[in-house]
Amino acid sequence: MHAKLNQDKTDWSPFPYLQEADVISVQRGPEAGGAAGGWRALRETMRGMKTTFARLVEGPVTLQYPEEKTAVYPRFRGRHKLHRFTDTGLEKCVGCSLCAAACPADCIRVVARENDPDDRVSAGERYAEVYEINLARCIFCGYCEIACPFDAITMGHDYEMADYNRADLIFTKEMLLAEPIERAPLKREGE
Amino acid sequence: MVEPIRELVTITVDGREITAPEGQMLHDAAKSGDVEIPVFCYEPKLGEPVGACRMCLVEIEGIPKLQTSCSTPIRDGMVVHTKTDQVKEAQNAVVEFLLVNHPLDCPVCDKGGECPLQDISMGWGPGKSRFTDVKRHFQKPIELSPLIALDRERCILCYRCVRFSQEVAEDEQLQLLERGDRTFVGTFDDRPYDDPYHGNVIELCPVGALTTYTYRFRARPWDIEDAGSVCTLCSSQCNVKFSIRDEEVLRVLARDNEDVDDGWLCDKGRFGFQSFGSEDRITQPMLRGGDGELSPISWDDALSRVTKALKSSGEKTAVLAGGGTSNEEGWLLGRVLREGLAGNAIDSGAHPADAGAVRGLSNPALTARMRDIDHAGAVLVLGADPRNEMPICDLRIRKGVRRNGVRLAVATDSPTALDRRAHAVGRYLPGAAAGFISQLAGEIRSEGSSSGPDAEAVAALATELRGAEDVVVVWGEELWSEPRAISALMDLATVLGIEGTETSGLIEIPTEANGRGLREVGCLPGASAGLAEAPAGPGVSEFCEKLRDGSLETILLADSDPVRTHPDGEGWKQALGNAFVIAISSFETPSASLANLVIPAENFSEKEGTITHPEGRLQRVRRNVPPPDGLLPTWNFLAAVATELGVDCGFSDQPGLFTAMTSSNGLYQGITEEDLAGQGVRWQDREGAAGRVPAGGATPQMAAPTSAPGSAGAPDSIRLGTRRDLWAAEVAERSPALEFLVPMQSLEISIPDAERLGLKQGQAVEVSAGDGASVEAKVAIREAMIPGAAFLICGARDGNGNLLTGAVPGSRTIRIEVATPVGQTENT
Repeated sequence: MHAKLNQDKTDWSPFPYLQEADVISVQRGPEAGGAAGGWRALRETMRGMKTTFARLVEGPVTLQYPEEKTAVYPRFRGRHKLHRFTDTGLEKCVGCSLCAAACPADCIRVVARENDPDDRVSAGERYAEVYEINLARCIFCGYCEIACPFDAITMGHDYEMADYNRADLIFTKEMLLAEPIERAPLKREGE
Repeated sequence: MVEPIRELVTITVDGREITAPEGQMLHDAAKSGDVEIPVFCYEPKLGEPVGACRMCLVEIEGIPKLQTSCSTPIRDGMVVHTKTDQVKEAQNAVVEFLLVNHPLDCPVCDKGGECPLQDISMGWGPGKSRFTDVKRHFQKPIELSPLIALDRERCILCYRCVRFSQEVAEDEQLQLLERGDRTFVGTFDDRPYDDPYHGNVIELCPVGALTTYTYRFRARPWDIEDAGSVCTLCSSQCNVKFSIRDEEVLRVLARDNEDVDDGWLCDKGRFGFQSFGSEDRITQPMLRGGDGELSPISWDDALSRVTKALKSSGEKTAVLAGGGTSNEEGWLLGRVLREGLAGNAIDSGAHPADAGAVRGLSNPALTARMRDIDHAGAVLVLGADPRNEMPICDLRIRKGVRRNGVRLAVATDSPTALDRRAHAVGRYLPGAAAGFISQLAGEIRSEGSSSGPDAEAVAALATELRGAEDVVVVWGEELWSEPRAISALMDLATVLGIEGTETSGLIEIPTEANGRGLREVGCLPGASAGLAEAPAGPGVSEFCEKLRDGSLETILLADSDPVRTHPDGEGWKQALGNAFVIAISSFETPSASLANLVIPAENFSEKEGTITHPEGRLQRVRRNVPPPDGLLPTWNFLAAVATELGVDCGFSDQPGLFTAMTSSNGLYQGITEEDLAGQGVRWQDREGAAGRVPAGGATPQMAAPTSAPGSAGAPDSIRLGTRRDLWAAEVAERSPALEFLVPMQSLEISIPDAERLGLKQGQAVEVSAGDGASVEAKVAIREAMIPGAAFLICGARDGNGNLLTGAVPGSRTIRIEVATPVGQTENT
């Protein structure tokens, strides 16, 4: 029908597109029931069973989680980590709150404070006295990592953060600074 | 001298035609036409532009070189380009040069996120730096004052803070020291920057060089919410903006209102917020038990106890309102007393005001606007030290004198901060204001008529005032303590022809922040809401006597602390000890510590209500943070008390209360919350204002000039006066940041008196007066003092001068005994 309309150049209209768009073609299936209907049902069932039986011989692919973990890609964005300088042990974070500004889910809270020169926490004049991430709210977009001018916060690979209590999902600075248990293996090349 | 009206001219900026008054700076004119020209150093509030930062360079047709738009006045037909390659190149170069010596430590810097240097670097800078060397380094932070930290590395030498210090506050302490890239802001000999307005430089600084210790690293601009209110710590009633984080006030900024505060804020308003979260704050109703200790009770219990106490004393109840009590609260207090208890002992302020005279002074033609000071012919400061009583008024007067050639005359008993800028200064003895003012009026009326020891000073003052086009008289509430001083003041106003001109008038500086509003809503003996006629009653000075002799039994103190701030503190102590005292107070003040019941009060970040500026401007105090748990709004509590006493309130929320308050008030009638908006509205500026003030009862009697002050009393006797100090206040003592400013008691005395008594500067003395009460003080010898008088700070924490004044301030002579042996004095 389409072809026919297009070929019909004599039927000129100022709105050719509208005419063509108005055409609706309806495909109807065969009527249900009868012997043909029965055959069709059987045929489709057999086609499905073919896939089932073909997979049977492959063996199980289920991961025995939590004993076995899914491997993640190196750039996987999991739970956040805060870092310290390896040489001095001082926190990299200066509490500038840029991560909180960048966060689209508004899940980071930073309260800064002035460093005591005799008992430094971070390298600069200020440090984060409170650094909290509400992981119940985090969407793991990684903007905080991008915003950070000191590479103090990065996204780790840990994705196991389920808990029984919402309040426990608010990660404090100490939890984020602690060396996280890297439970998730990384995907190998080509995997 | 009226503000000059300038012709409108048309200029073209980037192809846009802009109409602006001739002589306006190009930057401002462009801004009014929505063309933004970047600036660092330019700030119209600071006066004449200096063109220090070179950021605002533009191309003007007909001038070969680029011009600074901040210091180029516009001319008709001027064609300006702000986006040409030449301009762009200049802007890039300026930003690049500024950033060479800037540490770019934005993540650490407190200004980050609200920094003009960040914004302008992004908007007009080259985006890249070619600077590869090591940046300059200074020691940081440097304590410029105990409140301000200076980071010299970040400073871009825009001169704003220096100009503020030199030309606005006129303390002349800040300077740019050294030269070249070693230039830095500092004070002579690294002394701390000490000035009651110095917090303004933090707000002026376009980079993070000047930051305050109270806000340092506390929050980022995206962590905070801005919320407007009005400061109720003094009668300046500056418009403020709170920075709120986690429902807590973290800093206070100025909210520009040219009619009120000119965009400045004193340090009391800026740092006093720290008292809001003080641990000592009373947050629930307290009852004094048999052991003399306060213990918390429930609000229901408090309500029933207050009602019971008020009912049992009935018309023998007194109400004293003060501080930041809002108009609504004052109006409710008046109704509770007048309608609920049939009493009439209600007053506000520290000095007894007469209802008839208040009505006379409320004549709109007699009231000046704050902005009238800017272009007045002459300003007379009478019986007040604006710096200590209404700090922003002091800045306003300085601005008029410096920029517009206002002639300044000062006539006070104690030296004021304005003396140095004044063209004529007169001094009178404490308690001799009435004689001095009538002598001055007489001298203005007929030249050379005055005689006596003051003749010379009076003649000098009269010369400044006589024939001046518009005179604004700024006078202090303490004049009410001499009833004849007020009639002399009215006489002076007539002589000066104040009623006849639009831009002249009187401004009273009340002792309480909302002094004017409280009187106008009925906290005045003999006047109910709108200054309407009401049965006469005792005034504040009589309360004390009547409470002691039992003719008044109960007193309700609303944010008022008479033991501390009112004359005759000793008498008030006895009076409150003798009466049943209900105090609405935030802290256990000297008066609240004598109270039987304490009801917690809200502060101006928590309160919803209106207050009235001394010029008659109704302003709105807004609730911006929730009060501490369970604290009931004061108006709510008062409305509950009123209902219990059978007063029909007829409103259930704050807007309803506001409408009820204004509709029952002849002066405020018809003012809606929309009218108040952000800037407030003067009731005198509304239609039919002249007819709103009820005809005043008794016309004040004209005072005959008294005998020349100084002749009173025995020769060699020293009369006691009190002076107010900005920091001798509860809020300074409760704010950790301001505590170091709380003054020690000092006895100001003239050079001849000190020599005669053998007193040395800084010597500890014991001052006593009247019935043997004494106060310890250090001697402060001052040059500008009148001989025969000595002044103590009233309201000081230790050794309050009010304890010695007796019922009538300025009526007593003092005895001075040296407390430290000679030779052990320390020189200050």
